[in-house]
Amino acid sequence: MMKVLLLITMMFSLTACYEDTDVTLHQAGEYKGKLDSHSQTAEQREAILAKRFGQVQTDR
Amino acid sequence: MKLTKRNSASNTTKSGVDRRAFIKGSGIAASGAAFMTLLPSAMIQKAQASEKSRHNYDEGDIKKVRSVCSHCSVGCGVVAEVQNGVWIGQEPSFEHPFNLGSHCAKGASLREHGHGDKRLKYPMKKVAGKWQRVSWQQAIEEIGDKMLSIREQSGPDSVYWLGSAKHNNEQAYLFRKFAALWGTNNVDHQARICHSTTVAGVANTWGYGAMTNSYNDIHNAKAVFIIGANPAEAHPVSLQHIFRAKEKGAPIIVVDPRFTRTAAHADQHISIRPGSDVAFVWGMLWHIFKNGWEDQEFIDQRVFGLDDIRKEVAKWTPDEVEHVTGANEAEVLKAAQTMAEHRPGTFIWCMGGTQHTTGNNNTRAYCIFQLVLGNMGVSGGGTNIFRGHDNVQGATDLGVLSHTLPGYYGLSAGAWKHWSSVWDLDYEWVKNRFDQSSYEESGGKAASPMNTKGIPVSRWIDGVLEDKDNIAQNDNVRAMVLWGHAPNSQTRGPEMKSAMEKLDLMVVVDPYPSISAVLSDRQDGLYLLPASTQFETYGSLSSSNRSMQWRDKIIEPLFESKPDHVIMHKFATKLGFADQLFKHIKVNGEEPLIEDITREFNKGMWTIGYTGQTPERMKLQAANLHTFNKTTLLAEGGPCDGEYYGLPWPCWGTADMKHPGTPLLYDTSKSVAEGGLTFRARFGVEHNGENLLAEGSFSAGSEIEDGYPEFTADMLKKLGWWNDLTAQEKTAAEGKNWKTDLSGGIQRVAIKHGCAPFGNAKARAVVWQFPDPVPIHREALYTNRRDLVEKYPTYEDRRSFYRLPTRYGSIQAQDFSKDYPLIMTSGRLVEYEGGGEETRSNPWLAELQQDMFVEINPADANDAGVKHGEQVWVDGPEGGEIKVMAFVTPRVERGVVFMPFHFGGHYQGKDLLDKYPEGTAPYVRGESCNTVFTYGYDSVTQMQETKVSLCRIRAV
Amino acid sequence: MAKMKFLCDEERCIECNACVTACKNEHEVPWGVNRRRVVTLDDGQPGEKSISVACMHCTDAPCQAVCPVDCFYTTDDGVVLHDKDICIGCGYCFYACPFGAPQYPQEGAFGSRGKMDKCTFCAGGPEEDHSHEELEKYGRNRLAEGKLPLCAEMCSTKSLLAGDGDVVSELFRNRVVRRQGRQEAWGWDTAYNVK
Repeated sequence: MMKVLLLITMMFSLTACYEDTDVTLHQAGEYKGKLDSHSQTAEQREAILAKRFGQVQTDR
Repeated sequence: MKLTKRNSASNTTKSGVDRRAFIKGSGIAASGAAFMTLLPSAMIQKAQASEKSRHNYDEGDIKKVRSVCSHCSVGCGVVAEVQNGVWIGQEPSFEHPFNLGSHCAKGASLREHGHGDKRLKYPMKKVAGKWQRVSWQQAIEEIGDKMLSIREQSGPDSVYWLGSAKHNNEQAYLFRKFAALWGTNNVDHQARICHSTTVAGVANTWGYGAMTNSYNDIHNAKAVFIIGANPAEAHPVSLQHIFRAKEKGAPIIVVDPRFTRTAAHADQHISIRPGSDVAFVWGMLWHIFKNGWEDQEFIDQRVFGLDDIRKEVAKWTPDEVEHVTGANEAEVLKAAQTMAEHRPGTFIWCMGGTQHTTGNNNTRAYCIFQLVLGNMGVSGGGTNIFRGHDNVQGATDLGVLSHTLPGYYGLSAGAWKHWSSVWDLDYEWVKNRFDQSSYEESGGKAASPMNTKGIPVSRWIDGVLEDKDNIAQNDNVRAMVLWGHAPNSQTRGPEMKSAMEKLDLMVVVDPYPSISAVLSDRQDGLYLLPASTQFETYGSLSSSNRSMQWRDKIIEPLFESKPDHVIMHKFATKLGFADQLFKHIKVNGEEPLIEDITREFNKGMWTIGYTGQTPERMKLQAANLHTFNKTTLLAEGGPCDGEYYGLPWPCWGTADMKHPGTPLLYDTSKSVAEGGLTFRARFGVEHNGENLLAEGSFSAGSEIEDGYPEFTADMLKKLGWWNDLTAQEKTAAEGKNWKTDLSGGIQRVAIKHGCAPFGNAKARAVVWQFPDPVPIHREALYTNRRDLVEKYPTYEDRRSFYRLPTRYGSIQAQDFSKDYPLIMTSGRLVEYEGGGEETRSNPWLAELQQDMFVEINPADANDAGVKHGEQVWVDGPEGGEIKVMAFVTPRVERGVVFMPFHFGGHYQGKDLLDKYPEGTAPYVRGESCNTVFTYGYDSVTQMQETKVSLCRIRAV
Repeated sequence: MAKMKFLCDEERCIECNACVTACKNEHEVPWGVNRRRVVTLDDGQPGEKSISVACMHCTDAPCQAVCPVDCFYTTDDGVVLHDKDICIGCGYCFYACPFGAPQYPQEGAFGSRGKMDKCTFCAGGPEEDHSHEELEKYGRNRLAEGKLPLCAEMCSTKSLLAGDGDVVSELFRNRVVRRQGRQEAWGWDTAYNVK
């Protein structure tokens, strides 16, 4: 009886060892966050933003 | 410093349980939920306050709506992004000529009006000391009944209709008409306590009292002189234009008792004793006359009376100037020389010059300075008066004032007949709306309240508190309507509290409760009606440079608020004159049609040329901002080709004439048809035998190559131009003049022949109708220079001025300087506007300026035993006291302390938070500096003296 | 490729706080979080200068280097952003940053600090562009709309410039040349003996 109880207790306590595979394990120097998506390329953005800059500035 | 990324083995293991996992495993909220508690509280509140939240970010079309900022008179363009009726974004309006996309903190925070967390949401009534929500119907009924009963008992003058500089033009015009049809001249707005002395002084010098050039025109200035103004904080976007001049080499001179943020960007800062402006300007002129730097040709042709000025200026030797102002000879000479050598230079002033008992002297002295140097009527020159609120110019022009009808026509029978004819109402009917008795004399004849100036806002409390036998109307003011006007911008706070408590009825119409809701200890008879902001309605407004802009509606009125003109319709219906008020204005449901109101004032505002700016022309310009040149404001090509932005008034004649507007006043290098102008012939053709008309100076293309008086029908006939009028115009113009001819024919024909309809005269350096024809220096009422009081005394007490007894000498005679040794002055902060309830209720602005403070020089702080950041008491000589934070800084000179006037919500040490209706108390509250500011009113306009008084500081 | 930078022309900055408020407006930044602030030196005295400061989006960002969970990344445009889901709110980036850019909301799940928040150069964050998540966590993404940061777009005197470093410095050079002889720059009066 005692043995069964002990077994159950040990099994129960083992549940604390559950490892959630959703965990993000940190690795030094590596970014593990979400990816930042862009609909345009950096070159496209450069051109658009340069044009916008011209619009913003009054020294034109 | 180069940092290297760590690449050593990590501290966590694959098999272990790190902190994050442990918490997940034990069931405590995951990071997503934890983050929910981190959501900005503003967002959470908003989600509760309205169903429409920003979560609709990517659903529905985004509409772009053009509007204009509702804070200051620069009139920055705003582009609002609206999605599903919610104001979700604010974009810069890059093509707008005034701001080119820029804003200041207040303009950048406009979208918060769409949140409206602290707005007054529904009508409220104070009952037995508690706030109760009521319906609009009930509120209007009860207020109307009370007003009608007061009218019966005491007459229409016992209800004071205090209007606002935040009305748009249509609402302002309607408000003045409303007060007229109610039957009183007790109507006023913020201009009284802001630039009333400017308008009076400047208009009496050369005809119109407005900014003569524009903010953009400052690009062409070769020197910029700023006195009593702090545009870096009060008109930040104007600095964009001032810097353009500066970066082209223009020296900037700032004259101010404080080293302001504007002074920090100036080439020369001169500190003068508060209230000594005239002495300083005369001191500069002393050097100019001595060195022969005046523009004699300009003076001979276009200025009258300068010899009298020369006599006065001769008294202001460098020693006397230093004795009175504190400015030494070298700095005065340098300023004068800079202005003389860098022409055309522009001259800017604001409240520092206007808010004095001698305000009208100050403003005239400034004008005379520019006349002497010949800086008037040229690009880059002029007197660039920066006005305050967004539409104070419009409200002033449309006559929300106790001393005139719209368009500065005045209150004479002729003025009333003109407007009655525009309103299509029987003059006798309008006349009978007024109290028929008379209490005053005008020119030896008894004058009735219809023709006498009403009580100004600066004195409304005296209308309530003064013994009624001393007031030139039937009874005291018993009901006060504070419509879009804060009370903490007027002086004598403790007396205001008493006045509010004595009233029978108090009505506040405002988007926010304002200090009016909490200052007094009234237990009932106090109503709060929620008004919509200018973003919840549409219409036109006039910015400081006289340009008229059109706003489109951004969002529907929030909560139960209603736009001003809708509220006026409700009142007019209850009070019984809605039919007359809206005779030619269509009313859709309960909303009067704005465009009809514009067209109505287009029909009557001939004096200042508000006749050519129709809704169609203004809307077309708003849609084509990019076509306007950013310096000259002229549209080059495009649908508005040839017009100036905003059709700056005077935009002469009817819209058919397509006058382009007048960008620079008094510029004779252009023909009148193209926006040029002469000085107005307003004061007759001669005075004491001397010619008042211009000599040898006339507009380009003028057929009369000399001065000429204002145009009348008879004059046209004499000139042989009468037959240029059409038959229809002849009928209307017969016997009339350029101001009263409703067809606009006289104006059209005068301009056709190259002449200005209002004549071509000299500017007057001497205003003989004023108490001081030649501007002179007078000490302030509360002055600590007792040695100067004898030589430069103030005026004598007056028995009746704007209906009220007004004291001058009897106050100055008392010496307060021993007990109150420090000079006290007040001014603005960039984060807040006016009385401050609106801006202090905006969390983005309130966070930046959380404490009311008093700026004290370190030496004075040590004398008083106070340290920076401590609470101190500021005591005023009339008994008021306030508890504020001490801000010890060298920005103010020794002997002078400065306080901002935007705070309110504390009273004499006590926080009034509990007295606000639930959920409407502004984020930041503080003492109002006007609790300690004192009696003192300008000798011509009753402007209050808030720039110089006395106080003492003591540690808490 | 562009490298996004800010430049504040302190000769024109008048401390109007438009940049601060524009940022608050655009991203609904809560009370207490100062993504951008105006710093004034010598307040109230001759020589007073103001300058608007936010995250400088350093090429070799100290915050990025010291973060114990490496939640930072640099975009192709040179904008330094971070993932708030990874951030543990330790505050170490605040130690490292020479400009005080990292901010922490006053309420937080883990006691007083909470997730780090900072200027994003109006480039949102590592969520899908224009999604609810991006809006709530990081604010609006103007770069993805082809717009520049609102603080610079709304600056009252056009003293705050934002954009590609080359484009910004080109404009600033022009400006400096145009206003030559009027410099309040440090050292000018030493060289030219101006008052």
